[in-house]
Amino acid sequence: MLRRNFLKVGALAAASAVVVPQLNATDFRATKPDTWSAHTVEDAIKGLYGAITPIESGVTVGAPKVASNGGAIPVNVKSDIDAKTVAVFQDANPEAAVIVFEMNEGSILNYDIKMKMGASGTITAIVEGKDGKFYKGSKTLEVALGGCEG
Amino acid sequence: MKIKAKLKGDIVKVKALAKHDMMTYNQAEKKTGDRNNANFITHISATVNGKVVFDASTSQFLSKNPIFKFQFKGGAKGDKIEMTWVDKKGNTKTDKSKIK
Repeated sequence: MLRRNFLKVGALAAASAVVVPQLNATDFRATKPDTWSAHTVEDAIKGLYGAITPIESGVTVGAPKVASNGGAIPVNVKSDIDAKTVAVFQDANPEAAVIVFEMNEGSILNYDIKMKMGASGTITAIVEGKDGKFYKGSKTLEVALGGCEG
Repeated sequence: MKIKAKLKGDIVKVKALAKHDMMTYNQAEKKTGDRNNANFITHISATVNGKVVFDASTSQFLSKNPIFKFQFKGGAKGDKIEMTWVDKKGNTKTDKSKIK
């Protein structure tokens, strides 16, 4: 019995030890709650980065011109900027924020995701450079079949 | 979660598919009548040899069973890659794979 208890404690300790390294990452949902409930792209950017004026260059947002299925739109964000964080927003859904990436040592700014959009709209990507400046890229697309309700 | 990691030159390209419904607030209201039943992945990260190589906070607007593709430098063939997601209700899932 005693041994069993000992093993249990050991397993618990091992489990908690494994989780620790992941806490280095920032949970932007916890640190910047305003971003996720904001309804417009401007408010979401303000909630995440404060009042900024991004430079409109250096960031490429790739997406199909016409997305047949709004439930899974392939989106690519790419840039050569030495970045700290990358955030993606859109203006077709009830809330604006989609995803915030945190760059780490060795990370390459070239991300592909699949996202939902309820209607045609514009996808905006903001890159926070290590130089303290902000860069913006955007892409407007048509959505044939909205994917937020289904 | 399906994870494929491939080394090409000095860059590791990773493709991951997380199995999750990603139910938005509107979908939850329609299906269950309660907005609070929404559930989606809120945070996903990947580590190689204990080092974070990918980290993202996410919202409900990723597709169902979302796909993430990302790249990083500093991985070697045979290294273990571990990815974990957490959803709004606190469920977590961790899966491992090897860099090929």
